[in-house]
Amino acid sequence: MLAFLLLCAIFACFGLILGYSSILFKVDADPLVDKIDALLPQTQCGQCNYPGCRPYAVAIAKGEVGINQCPPGGEDGVKALAELLGVEAIPLNAELGLEKPKSVALIDENKCIGCTLCIQACPVDAILGAPKFMHTVIVSECTGCELCLPPCPVDCIAMETITENTAFSISDSYLIAGEKGQNIQLQSF
Amino acid sequence: MRIEVAYAKPYEQALLSLELAEGATAEAAILASGILQRFPEIDLQKNAVGIFGKLCKLEQPLRAGDRVEIYRPLLADPKEARRIRAAKHSSVFNIKELLDSRL
Repeated sequence: MLAFLLLCAIFACFGLILGYSSILFKVDADPLVDKIDALLPQTQCGQCNYPGCRPYAVAIAKGEVGINQCPPGGEDGVKALAELLGVEAIPLNAELGLEKPKSVALIDENKCIGCTLCIQACPVDAILGAPKFMHTVIVSECTGCELCLPPCPVDCIAMETITENTAFSISDSYLIAGEKGQNIQLQSF
Repeated sequence: MRIEVAYAKPYEQALLSLELAEGATAEAAILASGILQRFPEIDLQKNAVGIFGKLCKLEQPLRAGDRVEIYRPLLADPKEARRIRAAKHSSVFNIKELLDSRL
């Protein structure tokens, strides 16, 4: 009986120590990571060798990696990061890829066989489709990361550079009423 | 709950965000979104619908964050496409065989 009570007392002590230390040593989410993440292009392309923009931001904040590992962000991105962190701007690491103009994926409807492999590869859910139904890129969601290109078994996805003349860069958004009288934004390109 | 309704064509897409009562169905979301007026070619009796790439029925109750998608049929026949791909590969193989036999 005494042993049981002693054990209870010890556990209670541990509990109190843990509870107190969780308050005492509370760590807030690093605000620097948020600031770095906000400067990254959010393509989630993985060219920096991190699984996405946020993990790369965390690595920069820790000082593990240079600020020149993001090809989609380009030289401007490096400059912005250098300014934020108060370090010297360095040239982009060309081994990871080159800075390209903003482009989006476009699916060749005559070739798509509805296999869903591109949908699984897309990091931002920008492809709409289901097994054996047409797959279509939602241009407003596409970050141009090109991760959908390698898995396509029929090579039906091509990257289209966005210019002022591109048909879908002309956005015509308008409002329609939804339930509860709320406004919904309809985006079409 | 907040959900989305989406329909897409290569050069024109709609991705609508709307607020619905809990337990609303996929059909209710599509009707409430007004997407049918925007794209008159959609026929809910013919076009398949789903949530994030997975086919579902119109009566499917939704959960917060779901994206109700309306699909279009394929233009290519997957079996035919496969046959063409296979034929291409075998013709390359035949040329190789031919070259080997000549050597």
